[in-house]
Amino acid sequence: MDTLLTAEIAANAPRYRRRSSTFIDGIHDVSVDEGNMAPAQLYSTMSGRLFHSGRIAIVMVGLPARGKTHICVSMARYLQWLGVKTRIFHLGDYRRATVGEGGQVPQDYFYPNASPTSVMLRQKILKKCREDIYAWLNHENGQVAIYDAVNPTAAGRRALAKEFAKHDVQTLYLESFVDDEEILKENARNVKISSPDFHGMDPNEAAERYLARINTKIPVFETMQEEELNYVKMINAGQAFFYNNVSFNYLSHRIVFYLTNLHIKSRTTFFVRAGVATEEDSYKADAPLSEEGKSYALKMTETLLRHREQERKQLSERAGQEVPLRPLTVWTSTRLRTIQTGDPLKEKGYKVRQRSQMSQINPGVCEKLSERAIRSLYPEEVEKHELDPYHHRYPRAESYHDLAVRLEPIILELEREQNDLLIIAHESVLRVLYAYLMHCSTRDIPKLKFPRDEIIEIIPAAYQNDAKRIHIPGLDPSTVPGSPEDIRILVPGSPPGAGLPAIPGLSTPPESGAAESSAPVSITVARPPEKVVNTAKEMVADKVADED
Amino acid sequence: MGGPKTNGIGVQVEDTKICVVMVGLPARGKSYIAQKAQRYLKWLSIPAATFNVGNYRRNDSPHPSADFFDTNNAEGERKRRAAAAAAIADMLKWFKSGGVVGILDATNSTKERRKWVLDTVTKEGVEVIFVESKCDDEELIMANIRDVKTTSPDYQGQDPEKAALDFRTRIRNYEKVYRTINADGDEDDLTYLKIMNVGKQVIINRIRDYLQSRIVYYLMNLHIRPRSVWLSRHGESMLNLEGRIGGDAGLSLRGQEYARKLPELVLESVGSDRPLTVWTSTLKRTIATARHLPAHYNQLQWKALDELDAGVCDGMTYQEIADMYPEDFQARDEDKYNYRYRGGESYRDVVIRLEPIIMELERSEDILIISHQAVIRCIYAYFMQKTQEESPWVPVPLHTLMKLTPRAYGTEVQTYKANIKAVSTWRGKGSTAKHEDPSPDGGV
Repeated sequence: MDTLLTAEIAANAPRYRRRSSTFIDGIHDVSVDEGNMAPAQLYSTMSGRLFHSGRIAIVMVGLPARGKTHICVSMARYLQWLGVKTRIFHLGDYRRATVGEGGQVPQDYFYPNASPTSVMLRQKILKKCREDIYAWLNHENGQVAIYDAVNPTAAGRRALAKEFAKHDVQTLYLESFVDDEEILKENARNVKISSPDFHGMDPNEAAERYLARINTKIPVFETMQEEELNYVKMINAGQAFFYNNVSFNYLSHRIVFYLTNLHIKSRTTFFVRAGVATEEDSYKADAPLSEEGKSYALKMTETLLRHREQERKQLSERAGQEVPLRPLTVWTSTRLRTIQTGDPLKEKGYKVRQRSQMSQINPGVCEKLSERAIRSLYPEEVEKHELDPYHHRYPRAESYHDLAVRLEPIILELEREQNDLLIIAHESVLRVLYAYLMHCSTRDIPKLKFPRDEIIEIIPAAYQNDAKRIHIPGLDPSTVPGSPEDIRILVPGSPPGAGLPAIPGLSTPPESGAAESSAPVSITVARPPEKVVNTAKEMVADKVADED
Repeated sequence: MGGPKTNGIGVQVEDTKICVVMVGLPARGKSYIAQKAQRYLKWLSIPAATFNVGNYRRNDSPHPSADFFDTNNAEGERKRRAAAAAAIADMLKWFKSGGVVGILDATNSTKERRKWVLDTVTKEGVEVIFVESKCDDEELIMANIRDVKTTSPDYQGQDPEKAALDFRTRIRNYEKVYRTINADGDEDDLTYLKIMNVGKQVIINRIRDYLQSRIVYYLMNLHIRPRSVWLSRHGESMLNLEGRIGGDAGLSLRGQEYARKLPELVLESVGSDRPLTVWTSTLKRTIATARHLPAHYNQLQWKALDELDAGVCDGMTYQEIADMYPEDFQARDEDKYNYRYRGGESYRDVVIRLEPIIMELERSEDILIISHQAVIRCIYAYFMQKTQEESPWVPVPLHTLMKLTPRAYGTEVQTYKANIKAVSTWRGKGSTAKHEDPSPDGGV
């Protein structure tokens, strides 16, 4: 497996320093581009650290199959979104890289009275991992290092906190404690039983065997009770939390807040655009849906419900019994066109909530101005915009960054929601929410495209989310394209790229008379990249014997 | 877990109503927490109200002595129970009229009492979250007793020393029966937040929805170290001179003078050169107002502090608005808090976008905010608990620095005038005047 090989080479190369402990995706592979701020980052500092919180090691505690990896990845996604420079260090990756492919750690590796060779091996692996953590925090402007390991003993944790303190790093322990048998088995079933060891075995039996194996391999585990340490104990996957606050800072509270909204149930999120309005190019006029817009709303509803019914049937077949649908909740903004797009669903009895935070990006002075006019009125702004389309705001307008900050409460509710969720919003809002779930960089966000004839479905997975596109048939092609770029507002009938070379971020109203001539010819709809680098399944299979 | 009810075909009907039930011995800061939570929620336009059982009990027994609270005192027990029942009955009535978060401020110190409250309230379809403040720090408790309780209506006109003594006996009577939540492991099904020793240890159990997590997060961010918040509008702008709203103009000459005077005003108010953190909006006039502040003050710009967006009316005078959009002008005066300018914002919208600012403010210490009339009104309303009817009309004169110091039962305000002339931008209901003087008792 490629990732493993690379990891192995890296671990053994004396001068090589890993950028993270895996080589997988955007969450794990942090961008080295220093000037690039995170989507919802409020400000930047010389040190690259935020909230006056200093450098923090978040140290995971918990036996395998306690969902530590899920917590690490979700937390890292959220912190990176806030602009906190965060990296995850999975100790297991170092162990695997050190013992080599197919290698095994000695039987007594986790025993308290292990043999000297086992202790030496353990030390070697730990040392390599810690060195990388220090390199990240000391030399690469990292602020948070998430250290994913079992850390089973109180003595070990005390020593670790002392060592980090010596390096001027604050430690926050995060224990995932599970004593609910059901949750344990569920976790074991979901992640671990694809291992060849359990091939062909009844899933329940495999889960039990697996859990029993953990207990023999790691005989000593002490849950956290150390009064002098900062720790958060997440009990039974978020059912309860206990925290011991010696010196919590803002970030720690923020993390607890985030965790109280996290759940481990699987559910999907759908994104769709609002239908075409009567005054499509006006931000200020809160125009109602046009006839095409209403027809779009009906077709979208039909497609979505059909799709959900299909999924349910498939699930039922696989399970061998009828599976009920997860409830669906609909969120719209407070803009008429999004509310009206949700009306057919509302009439069918689905719950529709209006969220004022979800209103579209404000185009400010650019509204209704022709490209030429903007170029001549604000030449400097156009230049600045080209340099940084994510953060730049035209006079009186909002930038994407402003939008991301405004959407923060929505993002937390998105994490909390246990129902399936349909979000009907302006493309600018979809870009930002999609970017959160799929971890897109700020350079790409303004360019993401959401054509009207597609419903985007996001399905959560262990390491990274999956995105799927569902085609809505039978739409008038002129209403399909996404608004070309950034805050540019769609003008029906003008194919992208017509006329002047496009200025990023500006609208291209039709030249007089041009509108009719260029009408609904065939339009090549720019499809968004299927942005899924999901090698997660292999990754999980690879981590099957994961008892780090 | 008692998740939300669904009807099986994926349609869900629900409207969250939450009863926050305070738990804890007297003098543990329950009322402080209740007050703050109520103020915060109301400010977010979430209908919230506190029902203090003590107030109900006082109708019946205005100045009880400590043995009234002895569990062996059957008469006292009966009266206290009746007071709790009356408070809950009123709360349930209030929920029916549209209440969302009701806070029951009482000791609720026994399992039986909690179960009774839980049953009574959940029967009416209201979720319950218990919030317990548990504190064993003698010194803190004594400070609390002296500060708050000796001024309590229960001890009005009594010798403070005697009152404190009596109050401690009262606490001891409560201690006899007090059980902390889930002490015996049989209250694990409750949704609760237990704050121990002023936040040193916290237990959060079975949070069931976002609003609950929001309340919990807010309570976690509270701190009780003394601090102040300073508020100032930007100096007079060129558009202020013309009586135009919004825009992104620079400062007038007098506005620039204010910017130069501001450091002195701040120094006078702070009383030392300890640095403040300065938050401005992203508009020219606030940044220019902050430019002469000492270099060791950290300055941050927040988009969230930008002035209320007047949409199509941006840059107009009130007269022009009344001429061009007469209906809108009238609609705005009728419900200024909810009125949203065409293509712009309402006060309600501004409050929503200020949410992260308030959270930052609560956890921070000394902050100076330089922002705009509508935004300062909203922040002021948060601290002073102004209603939605009042807050959009609060006079916030130019060239004036305000210092807000939160105290146990309310916020103290001091104002510092720069004595630099500026136009008035306050406007009375129905008026289209460019520069109008606020009511005679004006100023905040």
